[in-house]
Amino acid sequence: MPGLSRKFRSSATNRLNLAPETRLLLTFLASLFSLIFSSGLSLGILALVSAVYMLLEVRPKAVIIVYLAFAVMAAIALSCLKIISLFVPVMREQPLSAAFLPFVRMSISLNVILPLALNSKLSELANTLGRLKFPGIIKLPLIITIRFIPTFFNDLQLLREAVAIRFRGLSGPLFWLRHPLLLWRVFFMPLVVRLIRSADDLAIAAELKGLSASTDFGGGKILLANSDKIALCLTTISISMAYMAGQLSAL
Amino acid sequence: MNSDITTSDGSGAQVSGAKPSLKNRLSALLDGRGLFKTHELVTIGLFAAGSRAASLTVALVGGGMNPVTMIIRSAVHSALLLVLLAKVPRTGALTMATLVGGLLSFFLLGQAMMTLPMVIIVTALTEVFIKVLGGLERRPNLGILAIIISELLTRVINIALGLVTFREQPGLIIMVAFISAFSYLGIILGLFGGKKMIKELRHAGLIA
Repeated sequence: MPGLSRKFRSSATNRLNLAPETRLLLTFLASLFSLIFSSGLSLGILALVSAVYMLLEVRPKAVIIVYLAFAVMAAIALSCLKIISLFVPVMREQPLSAAFLPFVRMSISLNVILPLALNSKLSELANTLGRLKFPGIIKLPLIITIRFIPTFFNDLQLLREAVAIRFRGLSGPLFWLRHPLLLWRVFFMPLVVRLIRSADDLAIAAELKGLSASTDFGGGKILLANSDKIALCLTTISISMAYMAGQLSAL
Repeated sequence: MNSDITTSDGSGAQVSGAKPSLKNRLSALLDGRGLFKTHELVTIGLFAAGSRAASLTVALVGGGMNPVTMIIRSAVHSALLLVLLAKVPRTGALTMATLVGGLLSFFLLGQAMMTLPMVIIVTALTEVFIKVLGGLERRPNLGILAIIISELLTRVINIALGLVTFREQPGLIIMVAFISAFSYLGIILGLFGGKKMIKELRHAGLIA
């Protein structure tokens, strides 16, 4: 979400200058083929290629933070598994390589999701949505919503400041984890009221402007730059290489 | 009122009295003309974004993934959905909210790319079931049932995807199951909160 991307926004230095459509397509293809392939070799090739793509697009600091969190999660999962296998002996007879394949699969999706999440600009995204051939009934709420997100984060910030003033010295994560009902009262309820009022305001504005599900939002035609074409070619080549590697290792 | 507006933009076949062609009718259906009014669509979109953004904020404030944060996140999500269904009590509103919210996180984060189509189908089926029971228009309280069923089915789909991802090591599915169970608990708790919230918002005159 933009909150996350805003945090690392300045960190996106070495951008490949890809169109949002290309990034979406790459993410989709990588997630799909990481689910389809089951040989270690093909998953390894995909992981390598996607890691290169991620390192070109995202600054190392963000990569390190995300991968540390991923490692902690994987460690928790594996230790849970160890504890369970003490009681259920069937699960013990697994080769070591098989234990890591799920994590390779998850890291592939992580590699392609990070550039998408940290580099997409909201205005760019709204234009992309205008270009894509979605039914108007989906386009209208999506485009208005995307334009609205910065305002909403501003509202959230205001609310957070109000809470911080009201509960001076108390508002740390631990305090709120101990008093979830209070959090509901002072944070969530005003948020919903705010949301309903903005929804009413924006709805009236949209109707006055004559926007409806059949409005054409423009955005121009889909144009693929050379970098996009190269990226798509490389993706196709690496997926087919991974497929062939999987077939070879099965022989 | 809505049809007055839509006839002016090319599909004016009704005006001349001729039967609208199949293509026109199909495109009207796809564009959702007459299905939802503009203000309903805007409300649905904003609530979908609000639920995503609020749950992100909860995750940032609550310090990442822990059971309490997960419960609060899903409680916020389900309470907002319930308020939305009270504000837009129509068949299709839940599916639209799921679709718009899913597409938002899909475009911004690449999240839920694999499960989204299935989740949409399941939510639509839930809405058909609710329609059979009487529909949200006539019995607004069915919104609670709709959320309970659709969120349960969504979690089943998530676990199924986990089974595919972890097929070499099926034991790992227990983690997914735990996460799903905790977030489902949050969904149920959020419904209580949402119900109370609707009462207060009605009292304040913010929803009809």
